[in-house]
Amino acid sequence: MFSLRYLKIWVGGAILLLLCVCGVAAPLLAPRDPQAQTLEDRLRPPRWSENGVPAYLLGTDNLGRDMLSRIIYGSRISLMVGAATVVFAGLVGCILGAVAGYFGRAADEIVSKVSEIFLAFPFLLIAIAIMAFLGQGVGNLIFALMLSRWVQYCRVVRGEVLSLRERDFVTAAKALGGRDWYVLFRHVLPNTLASVTVIATFSMAIVIIAEASLSFLGLGVPVHIPTWGSMLSEGRSYINRAPWLTIFPGLAIFITVFGINLLGDGLRDVLDPKLRRQR
Amino acid sequence: MAISRRQFLTRTALGIGAAAAPGLLRSAGAASRDRVTIYHTSVADSINPYNHSSSPIYGDWQHVIEPLIELDYAKKEYVGVLAESWQFQGNKWVFKLRKGIKFHNGAPLTSRDVAFSVEKMRDEKGGSLQAPNFKDVTEVQTPDDQTVIFVTKQPLAIFLDRLENRFILSKVAGDKFGDKLYDNLIGTGPYKFVSYQRGGNLVFTRNDEYWGGKAAIKEVIFRKVTEDAARLAALESGQADFINNVPDHEVARLQKHPRVRIDKVEGLRMFFLAFNMAFKPWDNKLVRQAANYCVDAPAIIKNIFDGIGYPINGPVGANVIGADPALKRYPYDPQKARQLLAQAGFPNGCDIQLYYSAGRYPKDREVCQVVAAQMVKGGFRVELISQEWALFWDKQGVNGGKLPFYYIGRGSLTDADTLYDQYFRTGTTKRTNYSNPELDKIIEEQQKTADQKKRVALLRRAGKIIMEEATFIPLYNLADIYGLARNLIWKMRPDEKVLGWDMKIK
Repeated sequence: MFSLRYLKIWVGGAILLLLCVCGVAAPLLAPRDPQAQTLEDRLRPPRWSENGVPAYLLGTDNLGRDMLSRIIYGSRISLMVGAATVVFAGLVGCILGAVAGYFGRAADEIVSKVSEIFLAFPFLLIAIAIMAFLGQGVGNLIFALMLSRWVQYCRVVRGEVLSLRERDFVTAAKALGGRDWYVLFRHVLPNTLASVTVIATFSMAIVIIAEASLSFLGLGVPVHIPTWGSMLSEGRSYINRAPWLTIFPGLAIFITVFGINLLGDGLRDVLDPKLRRQR
Repeated sequence: MAISRRQFLTRTALGIGAAAAPGLLRSAGAASRDRVTIYHTSVADSINPYNHSSSPIYGDWQHVIEPLIELDYAKKEYVGVLAESWQFQGNKWVFKLRKGIKFHNGAPLTSRDVAFSVEKMRDEKGGSLQAPNFKDVTEVQTPDDQTVIFVTKQPLAIFLDRLENRFILSKVAGDKFGDKLYDNLIGTGPYKFVSYQRGGNLVFTRNDEYWGGKAAIKEVIFRKVTEDAARLAALESGQADFINNVPDHEVARLQKHPRVRIDKVEGLRMFFLAFNMAFKPWDNKLVRQAANYCVDAPAIIKNIFDGIGYPINGPVGANVIGADPALKRYPYDPQKARQLLAQAGFPNGCDIQLYYSAGRYPKDREVCQVVAAQMVKGGFRVELISQEWALFWDKQGVNGGKLPFYYIGRGSLTDADTLYDQYFRTGTTKRTNYSNPELDKIIEEQQKTADQKKRVALLRRAGKIIMEEATFIPLYNLADIYGLARNLIWKMRPDEKVLGWDMKIK
């Protein structure tokens, strides 16, 4: 199990696990209330630099809030939005894609056309438009990102189902009297799981960046909830005077996305039948 | 054509280099002797010079078209520009025009030009946003070439305040160009209009025959750049010679810059938090007073604006006509706030929403977050809501009376009457829905009073009522911070106008 082949999965998984622990145990781990402003202590540099104070490991932001606590709490939003979007978009995309691929004809036409319409717009643009329309909020954010992410699952699942439905085991299941929906969910869909898992991991990384981008643009979650994207946005104008306001949230996003991509890469190596054959 | 990633990168780098080269070369020299390029957050959005009511944009058009009178900020009194003298006679204001002034097309300035311009300013259908300034004027008479008489419904002592920034253009040109009048803007000003592109440059060139003496700079270019970083970069690289709204935390760094200099002046924009008294709990005076006790404006200035700001004592800033040195702001006392809230029937605190428009004013998002945290200490639970400016300011927002509590800045405030009339007089606007017959009477009486001393006394009485009633939370004036090329000399103004003839190159 510890062979080099699984290294990516182990490292990526460990990073993700660590982040999940951070998010879940934020109230225990964070040294301070992420909202508490101490204006006298504003813009303190990280502890190890010249003017740092021991109380603030990663320094404080422009309102004197503890950077470390905000980054720990920020992981909640990133992971929650990432995971929820992946699950919802995956559900919607997989079901629609499976229906389109399996039943073909009108179902395929409709689903394909709709997904093409969604594909025609740049993904972030759809999300921005929806957020501008719905207003700030975690629920709205997840909804907006889901609406712009389901297409990818749909396309891949549809393609896979298209080839799977002609396979012998599907014909066999049908010959034994399996109804269409039963065959689809019991025999066809489970076989697409490998590709879906890989898409899901990469998609999660993209969604986390999208959440940060939307928060950066002020279209994400309300201002009182700390997120990495809004921290970047607020710290941007202080980049000359207090670079740590942007470095740490940036690093947090980087490490998270790196970890998830590593995991996705590893999973693909293991699960992709083409790569498997080459070996 | 397929290009590899490496090719793409090299080509992009070359492209960026080529685009940046002229800027880099210019930065080696100094500002051109003949031309000043100004990057400003607010530049005319329309070629119609009456299609706005914003101080910096008045400054843009004042290059070409001029007002009858202007406020001298040092003396705090009005001085003539196109008008030589004026008299307040009951319900009439009589202006004598300066003799010998010529428009850019050679036509002499006459009273008919004034009447024509007022007509254009009152033309709301034609896009003017300045019509309300003439709402009390019933007639403009032109008995002879040099005399203009404004007849008002009742004596209107504060008419000079309304007449500031009302610019005069040429009737001869107006008759000639008709609908294309504004594309061929002809005025009497120190500069002539050259060209305007929406989102691009607004260009003026010097009028060598200007009646008040030739300006030093030959060409003035305005460009609207709202992104702080872009304006700063342009100034540092030499693309711009002048920028406004330098973020205060960049001041220390820029002061060490070899080709850049910083100028600061106390601005006339007054920032405050406004209650809409049609909403609960703001209809309750005790709650409004409690809110006043919670907000620590000096702490906001010190910490958010690096100390570059001026807290307001009383209802208006000390340099505003009608200010009362005897009035003080509510001290910061969250304990007292909790007491008042309990007295008002909210012993367990009270939920409120604070609206603002992120990005409209300097550091507004930070300010509102600090205000929210301060109010929490005084027993309020605050939800922050940011809206797009158009939504925030329009009929759906402040001006429709739809927002209960909001952060706002009133620009070029020189006379307390402007604020009191607009925000606290019954029916003028829906911004606060405050109604107090006693205050209305004082405001009305003050507007009729010609004697400035008596008028100031009345304004002070109004101010006292406003403070006692806690109709809003006055906060501060900020410094207007400008960045300039080191060799550029200019006379600073507190009204956010940037004027080419105030400038000189060393």
